Amino acid sequence: MGYEPLVNQNPLRVLNLGRGSKQLGLVMARAGLGKTALLVQIALDSILRGNRVIHVSIGESIDKTRAWYDDILQFILQDHSVSRPHELIDMVARHRMIMTFKEDAFSRPRLEERLNDLILQDIFRPNCLVVDGFDFESADRAVVEDIKEFLESMSLQAWFSATRHRNDDRVSPAGVPAPCHEVDDLFDTVILLKPEKDATIELEIIRNNGVSVDAGTGLKLDPSTMMIKEG
Amino acid sequence: MKRDLDKVRNIGISAHIDSGKTTLTERILYYTQRIHAIHEVRGKDGVGATMDSMELEKERGITIQSAATYCNWKGHDINIIDTPGHVDFTVEVERALRVLDGAILILCSVGGVQSQSITVDRQMTRYNVPRIAFINKCDRTGANPYRVTQQLRDKLNLNAIMLQIPIGLENDMEGVVDLVTMKAIYFDGDQGDKLRYEEIPDQLKDEAEEKREELLDAVSMFSDELMEAMLEEQEIPEEMIHAAIRKGTLSLELAPVMIGSAYKNKGVQPLLDAVNAYLPCPLDVENIALDLDNDEAEVKVSNDPNDDLVALAFKLEDGRYGQLTYIRTYQGVIRKGDTIINTRTGKKLKVGRLVRLHSDEMEEIEEAGSGDIVALFGVDCASGDTFCAPSLNWSMSSMHVPAPVISLAISPVDNKAQGNMSKALNRFTKEDPTFKTFVDHETNETIISGMGELHLEVYIERMKREYGAEVEIGAPQVAYRETITKRADFNYTHKKQTGGSGQFGRVGGYMEPLEEGEYEFVDEIVGGVIPREYIPSCDKGFQASMKKGTLIGAPITGVKLVINDGSFHAVDSSDMAFQQAAKGAFREGYAKANPVIMEPIMKVAVEGPSEFQGAVMGSLNQRRGMIVGTFEEGNYTVVEAEMPLSEMFGYSTTLRSLTQGKAEFTMEFSSYKQVPKSVAEELIKAFQAEKSEG
Repeated sequence: MGYEPLVNQNPLRVLNLGRGSKQLGLVMARAGLGKTALLVQIALDSILRGNRVIHVSIGESIDKTRAWYDDILQFILQDHSVSRPHELIDMVARHRMIMTFKEDAFSRPRLEERLNDLILQDIFRPNCLVVDGFDFESADRAVVEDIKEFLESMSLQAWFSATRHRNDDRVSPAGVPAPCHEVDDLFDTVILLKPEKDATIELEIIRNNGVSVDAGTGLKLDPSTMMIKEG
Repeated sequence: MKRDLDKVRNIGISAHIDSGKTTLTERILYYTQRIHAIHEVRGKDGVGATMDSMELEKERGITIQSAATYCNWKGHDINIIDTPGHVDFTVEVERALRVLDGAILILCSVGGVQSQSITVDRQMTRYNVPRIAFINKCDRTGANPYRVTQQLRDKLNLNAIMLQIPIGLENDMEGVVDLVTMKAIYFDGDQGDKLRYEEIPDQLKDEAEEKREELLDAVSMFSDELMEAMLEEQEIPEEMIHAAIRKGTLSLELAPVMIGSAYKNKGVQPLLDAVNAYLPCPLDVENIALDLDNDEAEVKVSNDPNDDLVALAFKLEDGRYGQLTYIRTYQGVIRKGDTIINTRTGKKLKVGRLVRLHSDEMEEIEEAGSGDIVALFGVDCASGDTFCAPSLNWSMSSMHVPAPVISLAISPVDNKAQGNMSKALNRFTKEDPTFKTFVDHETNETIISGMGELHLEVYIERMKREYGAEVEIGAPQVAYRETITKRADFNYTHKKQTGGSGQFGRVGGYMEPLEEGEYEFVDEIVGGVIPREYIPSCDKGFQASMKKGTLIGAPITGVKLVINDGSFHAVDSSDMAFQQAAKGAFREGYAKANPVIMEPIMKVAVEGPSEFQGAVMGSLNQRRGMIVGTFEEGNYTVVEAEMPLSEMFGYSTTLRSLTQGKAEFTMEFSSYKQVPKSVAEELIKAFQAEKSEG
């Protein structure tokens, strides 16, 4: 379809991330560094490879979530010429579904019910789930375990985002900061986003597919698209 | 009469259907002594609320037309435009918003921010209309103004700040606490017309303090003085708070929230005070006109009564005494007997009767100053026209009018209905730019088209009631379009020899899809292979071909046509011959350009209790819909989808039975998209069958 350059420049491809069907991933950063943008990139990567993605947004509106996709696609289309941009935009829209929840309305039973509504009526069969805005600070381990178990039972790949706080120094033995320092072992892949001085974002991989990665393994990303910075 | 423009308010009352707009307007008119009795919307007394002047509106309990009405509250002249709440009438809403300076956004304390409120609010943002939110129906079971205020922040992104808190809710609602004056207000008397100010009840003191802090924090952003006073922990004067709220409201960065229950006569007078205190006067709002003599350069209207007149006709109504034209003046004064010019037609006219309106009743006036909303009698014009003093040739910027998406064939039942029908149609098209009508020459049927099923239904009802024109209705038709998807060459020779001078013309070139725009004609002829004078003939021939596609006879859009070759004959070539050649060339190219059918796609939002979400999504999916997303809050959910209009006929009935009437939906036009192959095949088959029959 001519989307190869897009697929190739997606950070996930280079890192060979996001392949396993039951994989559970985590993206961590301080507020405003591009967690949502990276989740959208993860979703786009999956969509460009022909998968269907549900974007769960907790505490955001449908319009705002959709605007993330529109903006990032616009950026991508500016940098990479695609023969029929409308088809790409349409394709993304058809392979994506947005589920937004008010903070206190999100729970495993609710999510399970919604996914079953979609799958049993053959409305939308997702391969991948991205969950933005999940509150790790007030969720205990049992809750995260419960969600993990459910996602595994559905054979879904899933990615969560979590917000780090400047004045919270707690870290897990593997090097995963709070608020996920007590549940980090439940995730197969953990990525940290850090700001760099040259206005790029460094993507540091703490664990990849269950294998811990040496410090210093990272990539520089363009903050507007979360694509790999060229040159 | 000297008028103080500071004391003029042109406001709209805009909201979701059934959130009590008409009741509130009714109360406002009662308290400002414009009416002397209160009637309910679905009144048992058979009189009905004063604002819903059309019989149909009275019967359905909804407001279709936005009647303008005038009242006076504590020395301020307030013109109220009652705006319709259903999305099918958004042009009416938008047109009303154009002439408003500020608005009251009513919300139901139980239903909260519903999808229609979102649409209306988006429109208000587009027209930069500052607004006050009024959370109505606080007497109803389940009322929760705090939740609704939070929704204003979450769903509408408004910086919503409560200026009041309720004293009791549901059946126990007694009054409100004013957080600016820190007084409790009770509404005594049968009609709540006696206001009693008391100390805040003990049990509410803490909450009132806390909410006042929130209020002060929010408004201190708009006033350095207030910020300083707060930092120094001084007593803060009321005027300072009012001024800060006003500043925030006018900049659209703050939305004051008032609460009450219009039906139970609570909270209306403080709302009127807030209208006076916080909503803009005509001087606060910048309005732009286009100077038609100067290449439509933008000019700011002055609001100065001493300048030459500029006024906009924003609404027409067919009254008992002929056409009534509602106008808003932007500068100058309009007087009885003045000569003014309709800048669209260039026609001069004389101002006859000038009236100020109070729904069905009217008051004759001699003149109306700048910033006012009044009506003229017997003036021939269309809605959206600008009137100027003879010295000016300005036009208030044109309004965005969406193209109709649905059409319906109608035929009169008898001869009498025939005449009345055309009278009615003539009137409606003048009143409403989104309502269009034409006669299909092939079938000889009269076609009406508009923005939705309900939109057309209302006009058919009005035809029957107001004009006595009974019509038979055909099945609703979706406004399909055709377009091409790839480039194709053409080279067509039109030749005819039938004795006498013949016809000859050859046109060569290509057509290709146009990403934006409907039609583009490019002339790349060199060396005069088609003579200059016949180039427009080619353009004409192409344009004629665009009117009806070959797939299903729908209009073609999005085509760029380039001619770069051709030939002619000194005697036999003519305008006609080249038009024919262009038509042939178009046919040839079109067949090769992979033409497709496009259909209108609507943005649909269904909202209701969560338990029905699965069923709702299923029903949308069955109708070829693409579900964009869902939103859940507590036990309430919204499903947003993009739906082909052709699949939405009768959806309200389906939805009602699916959800026991607990869910509702709104729909607005989104875009045109290609129809799937299977559907296209069916449409083509049906078109062929019809053609061979006819």
